Amino acid sequence: MQKSRQKGSPPMSIDLAKTDFVTIERASYRYSATGPAVVDAIDWTIPRGEIHCLLGRSGCGKTTLLKLAAGLLIPSEGAIRIGGEALAGPSPRAGFVFQAPTLLDWLSALDNVLLPVSLKRRPTIADKDAALDLLERVGLADFAMRRPAELSGGQQSRVAVARALVGNPDLLLLDEPFAALDALTREELQDDLLRLCALNGTTALFVTHDIGEAVYLADTVAVMEVGRVTHVRRIELARPRHRDMRYAPGFTAACRALRDAMDGAVAVNRRPAA
Amino acid sequence: MMARLPSLLLFVVLLAGWEAWCRIGGLSALVLPPPSAVLATLWSEIATGRLWPHLAMTAAEMALGLGIGAVVGLGVGILLAEFPALSRLLRPYVLASQLVPKLALGPLFIIWFGFGMTPTVVITALICFFPLMENTLTGISEVDGSRRELFRMLGAGRFQTLLRLKLPAALPVIMAGLRVAVVLALVGAVVGEFIGGRIGLGASIIAAQSVMDSSLIFALFIVITALGMLLYEAVRLIERRVLHRFSKG
Repeated sequence: MQKSRQKGSPPMSIDLAKTDFVTIERASYRYSATGPAVVDAIDWTIPRGEIHCLLGRSGCGKTTLLKLAAGLLIPSEGAIRIGGEALAGPSPRAGFVFQAPTLLDWLSALDNVLLPVSLKRRPTIADKDAALDLLERVGLADFAMRRPAELSGGQQSRVAVARALVGNPDLLLLDEPFAALDALTREELQDDLLRLCALNGTTALFVTHDIGEAVYLADTVAVMEVGRVTHVRRIELARPRHRDMRYAPGFTAACRALRDAMDGAVAVNRRPAA
Repeated sequence: MMARLPSLLLFVVLLAGWEAWCRIGGLSALVLPPPSAVLATLWSEIATGRLWPHLAMTAAEMALGLGIGAVVGLGVGILLAEFPALSRLLRPYVLASQLVPKLALGPLFIIWFGFGMTPTVVITALICFFPLMENTLTGISEVDGSRRELFRMLGAGRFQTLLRLKLPAALPVIMAGLRVAVVLALVGAVVGEFIGGRIGLGASIIAAQSVMDSSLIFALFIVITALGMLLYEAVRLIERRVLHRFSKG
């Protein structure tokens, strides 16, 4: 516990917070050379330690942009930089949380969390302690030896988040990880995620179609429509965030503005067709 | 045990009906021997020890054929799943090789390998190869895309992904293929012996037929069925052990 408390107070992160960590430079992506751009010349920067949300409807290109940031896809044009380095493949500094928990059915929750380590080397006692610590932080201390089939959907998502965080990645990329969960579980997981990110000053890019989720989590929300960022909004809510803020006027106003922006984006895009 | 009682009862009723039909119907024992005669023949085969070399031979051919066919089928399935170009190149030939009736190859194998165990083992292996290859290929290609992406994200190499993700995930499908292969292995071994065997349960059936001993043929049926069930249950046991370790808890 001593060790984790030390991790809990990031002393230098205030100074570092202003440096850009993830830089997306006019990145475009096409599935075929002549096809339409799924991601269309997007410029974006995420300062170190901030949480940004990509908000948009299904098929707007937000997942593709996230996979570009992960290095799972390589941009057709433009570049992605993480800490100044251009990405040429899956980034070892990033943890990825998929839409589905994607746990391995034949491993215990603990072994699933340890997977990123065990693929590289034999996990040490320290690795196991770190994994157990993470499981404890997502409220699964008593479930470490259970297999995924013996866990609920919410618990599986928690294991997936713990797995993405096990190597202390600098960057966390999340693709609608809580979309399949009920509203209450989703809110709990959002709180867990915010706590875990604050702990190590983790930078995060979170893709969602849920406006409330985006506002609650983000420092900045970007609305995406047909491969472009159509609207950007800074969320001026204090951190740490807590449940009551969901009902604050500022929160509701932000949701309303983003909703209008999403509708506006659709209207703009539909106008030529009408 | 209670769950098996009805099926056991049915077995007794069927046997009694058969016995009654043979006795009352005045059916020639040459056409259909009564169960009592079959059991008597079976017992004498066991008691005199005449059965054992044949049983051992068929079991050995089956095990060897199944082993070789399963290992090669697994290997080829992995190769075809991992290298789609190779799969496109070889699939038509693999399919053609399976559509050739393998038992028809028996006479050719006797020319190539001589009489005895080898041609039967080769036929059995050829028969067992296909379900393993097909199921391995299917199982591996059904591993879902996001788990593959996860392994890519975690920087896992091709071999690691195969060993740590694809094979464990495909295991239930592969084991189902193995179960099919066990049943086919018995057919392969027995029928292979029809063609080129001197020793073995299949060869004994041919020998019994040449002296019109139908109760011996029935006794051999029983032995073959028992052998098949034993092996099938053995594979089920392995399957349960393996799947317990590698599947959904």
